[in-house]
Amino acid sequence: MGGFVSRGFRGRRRAGAEQATRLPPGQYAETGFPVLTAGPTPRVDLATWRLTVEGLVAGPREWTWEEIQALPGSDFEGDIHCVTRWSKLGTSFAGVSVDTLLEAAEPRPEASHVVAFCHGGYTTNLPLEDLRGGKAWVVWEHEGAPLPAEHGGPARLLVPHLYLWKSAKWLAGLRLLDHDAPGFWESLGYHNVGDPWREERYWGD
Amino acid sequence: MGRLSWRLATVAEVRPETARVVTLALEVPGWDGHLPGQHVDVRLTAEDGYQAERGYSIASAPGSERVELTVERLDDGEVSPYLAGELRPGDQLELRGPVGGYFVWEPGRGGPLLLVAGGSGVVPLMAMLRHRAATGSQVPARLLYSSRTIEDVIYREELDRLAAAGDGLAVTHALTRAQPAGWSGYARRIDAVMLEEVGWRPGEHPLAYVCGPTRLVEAVAGQLVALGHDPARVRTERFGPTGVP
Amino acid sequence: MTMDETDLRLDGNAVAGMLAELFGFDMTVEWGGCAGCGATNQLGALLVYAHGMGAVACCPGCGQALLRVARGEGRWWLDLRGLAWLQLDEQARVAG
Repeated sequence: MGGFVSRGFRGRRRAGAEQATRLPPGQYAETGFPVLTAGPTPRVDLATWRLTVEGLVAGPREWTWEEIQALPGSDFEGDIHCVTRWSKLGTSFAGVSVDTLLEAAEPRPEASHVVAFCHGGYTTNLPLEDLRGGKAWVVWEHEGAPLPAEHGGPARLLVPHLYLWKSAKWLAGLRLLDHDAPGFWESLGYHNVGDPWREERYWGD
Repeated sequence: MGRLSWRLATVAEVRPETARVVTLALEVPGWDGHLPGQHVDVRLTAEDGYQAERGYSIASAPGSERVELTVERLDDGEVSPYLAGELRPGDQLELRGPVGGYFVWEPGRGGPLLLVAGGSGVVPLMAMLRHRAATGSQVPARLLYSSRTIEDVIYREELDRLAAAGDGLAVTHALTRAQPAGWSGYARRIDAVMLEEVGWRPGEHPLAYVCGPTRLVEAVAGQLVALGHDPARVRTERFGPTGVP
Repeated sequence: MTMDETDLRLDGNAVAGMLAELFGFDMTVEWGGCAGCGATNQLGALLVYAHGMGAVACCPGCGQALLRVARGEGRWWLDLRGLAWLQLDEQARVAG
């Protein structure tokens, strides 16, 4: 069947010429914000919502919704890339920098990796370095409005320099480890790191 | 090869059903037959290799000369505007199947039969009714079919004919958005009251098949169970998000 | 229309073709046991979330994922840990 092409089929792709340079290899520009779901949308009550930073830290920390909102805010404006090939260019999120959270918890020297764990059971893993240095946020607003549940609200992780599956929705906490622990998609054939600029989509790429 | 892998079908005919719905009659070499309710997966490939796949219920009864798919063109769809807008007789289409033996009804399974459809969810149920008619089955059957307007009713004339055949089939329409002058039928979405009025009593142990947008299917399945129907005798085929009738 | 997972939820049918290609059986009619709650269901009755990265088929009783499948670049990955057992009936073998 190799080589068959459906006459006249183009698919739902939108990319202006000026956008092409901002797109990582194999991606197309999407004006919407597709909802991709791997399970029921968790419904989280803000009154009982907590975010924890735990594991290999000097002082495990937990924030309530009010407490995390009171931290110094940080915004992201830029592009996000999904491994399913859509990229959303020039979008914005607001929340708090993960650096702020890590400073409060004080990672131990041997901490090298992180598992982000979420309501509903989703997990994803990252090197600690990918969460530091202004590269990651915990966000609760998208384009000026509260982050909708289907996009990970009340709060999600945002790590825009990696494929969007690393930006875990319905975030419950970050656990620091001295070893790597593949998460939901990483243990199902997806790449451990997920750098869109190196097109690290699948295990073995 | 066979149904396990992708194979090429040729479009023999493109037949409009309603303003947004089209039936594709396909020639599929080596087609081995199918069961009423099954579907095929369709795959489209662009010149740069980009692919998109969707499942479509088979509308035709087993034994028909061609394999027919009825497709509703979704405004923001990726595949349906191509199938129900671009495809022409002579074009080829990759498909895989038939599959989906779970959502199947044949006369041998008995009844009475309750079919509940929302919009294009009527397609697999139509395959069941066409097969029922073709085999001369007298299994009592009731179709409750929700559409936005009378113009959106797919297979309208054919359903009228089947219902007039006097072989134990009753068809009830619910028109949810607008009704023609003089309409005395249901003018609202399917709900528990309607299911109770139209459907079989739990004590009659019907086999129920519910198909259409996910929201409608889940609401109806829940209502049937709440009315006392055996969940094991209610089968669903959710179509995902579409315009809800 | 705001879309959430309710709209996106599907049935086992949604992965029938993919599983038929992998297993050689029409898996929607095959029975499986949930490793979480022990419920037995035909796979056609499972609740499916067909994420663009893969599909997750969940127990209609307890919601646990019975089956996770992802594919890319000519490879498939399967996680069947949520399935305590799977019964394959010769009658459902798909003609090869």
